[in-house]
Amino acid sequence: MGRIVFKNIHKAFGSKVVLRGVDLTVEPGAVFFVIGQSGAGKSVLVKHLIGLIEPDEGQIFLDDVEVTNLHEKDFYPIRKRCAMVFQNSTLFDSMTLLENVMLPIRKHLKLNKEEIRALAIEKLTLVGMEQFGDRYAADFGDGMRKKVAIARALTLNPEYVIFDEPTTGIDPISAAMVDKLIRHLADHHDVTSIVISHDLRSIFGIADRIAMLYKGKLIMDGTQDDFRNTDNPIIQQFINGRPEGPMEI
Amino acid sequence: MSNQKQAADPRMQEENDQSSAGLVSAFFAAIGEPIVYVTRTVKELSALFLVTIKYVIAGKRRPDEVVAQMFEIGNRSVVFIAVTLGFLGMILIYQAGFQAMKITGDLTLLGALFLQLLMREFGPTITALMIATRVGTGMAAELGSMVVTDQVDAMKMCAAEPIEYLVVPRFIASTIMVIVLTIVAVLISYLAGALTAYTAFDVNFRTYFDLGFVSYFDIIIGLTKALAYGMTIPIIACHAGLNVFGGSEGVGRATTQSVVNASLAVVVIDFIISGLGYVVLALF
Repeated sequence: MGRIVFKNIHKAFGSKVVLRGVDLTVEPGAVFFVIGQSGAGKSVLVKHLIGLIEPDEGQIFLDDVEVTNLHEKDFYPIRKRCAMVFQNSTLFDSMTLLENVMLPIRKHLKLNKEEIRALAIEKLTLVGMEQFGDRYAADFGDGMRKKVAIARALTLNPEYVIFDEPTTGIDPISAAMVDKLIRHLADHHDVTSIVISHDLRSIFGIADRIAMLYKGKLIMDGTQDDFRNTDNPIIQQFINGRPEGPMEI
Repeated sequence: MSNQKQAADPRMQEENDQSSAGLVSAFFAAIGEPIVYVTRTVKELSALFLVTIKYVIAGKRRPDEVVAQMFEIGNRSVVFIAVTLGFLGMILIYQAGFQAMKITGDLTLLGALFLQLLMREFGPTITALMIATRVGTGMAAELGSMVVTDQVDAMKMCAAEPIEYLVVPRFIASTIMVIVLTIVAVLISYLAGALTAYTAFDVNFRTYFDLGFVSYFDIIIGLTKALAYGMTIPIIACHAGLNVFGGSEGVGRATTQSVVNASLAVVVIDFIISGLGYVVLALF
């Protein structure tokens, strides 16, 4: 397992420029938070790593191997190593929870039906959802869906997991459980987590390192203490949640 | 004073030159931008079409999904198509009969000529325009919503190819059902025309139902158009849906783009196949 490097990433959608030359390095085994306002380009940046978005300019390295603009099929092994929990949970409503978790196992691993089922139940147990395995995803609210999405992301024992706003829209107890799980993955399984979040409790609870994007640029990359002690008024406004300040809303 | 004027003139000249250069640049940009857009879109659509065909031939079969899409495209559109083409048949026969009465008064060829026109032109083309409106926008909105809620990305993360899962069933279903709906549309429009001809002009059914003008070429051209439209509409709609960005606003843009592009494609394909049809007809 190695580091992730984003080098001078530029991205625009039509006339809307989202990233303006972002350089970022994520060290292995870290819980790395990417923070910033809505629309700052956080999700767009991390999606480049797994080939869900192609950069207009710049390079991405995983384990010192360039993974920029690969062919779709060449991203399959990268997506096995690097899972993503999406902001919207993205469970398939027409499938049961168990079928949702079994899908990546069926597609990526050559296992028989019993082994696939057993692995899926193991992952559902990890998030406390094993008793609901045979019910449909559409029957559940956001919090429970998010837990199942995390279970699905962990099925292939990834080395890297991207969490896109994992605690948004879920109750405080579930959010604390998600934070604990992210920390547990880093401390006991050497999983590198990139967490996109606005949740200050999570950020200053479990982050090893934090990077902040503002208007498509990286304005700071440092530890929790670096962020607490910085004089940058934009960062201070953001981490203190103040409506007034230099940050353009 | 004179010296000052002389000094100002070159600056004014330079400003005028810059202004002219800006106008020229804007002029060429205005011409070039749509050309670049159309070229890029056609290239992307061609690539999507080829990948879809590859999965249709070599991909996993999903009959349940295809049947569900056939129901959505065919069964849910049949009333809409029947009403539209029925009314169109009545209007066209009434107008044609009315004009013919003013000129010759001979209505014996009304049904035969109308059937030929329906088969070659109105049946497939109007049906396709209706499908582009009803079904194409639905496809673009559905896939666009999946994109903005990350469902398409989630499929990619599970190594499930979105084109194989989402585009292929819609493509197969649309190809079959546009042909079926075109046949239904021609029959209903022709029958509605028969009732109008009988009611408005006293043209009896035996005179109206004259198949003398219809040749195999008319049937082949009509079905070829339906086949081409049936393949084109889902490709354009799915392309618009899969390329959505910018949340719900992007979904709205995609549905508009889908209906505009699909309607334009139908008209252009109609022109090409009609033209080729007449060339082939001239050879025999």
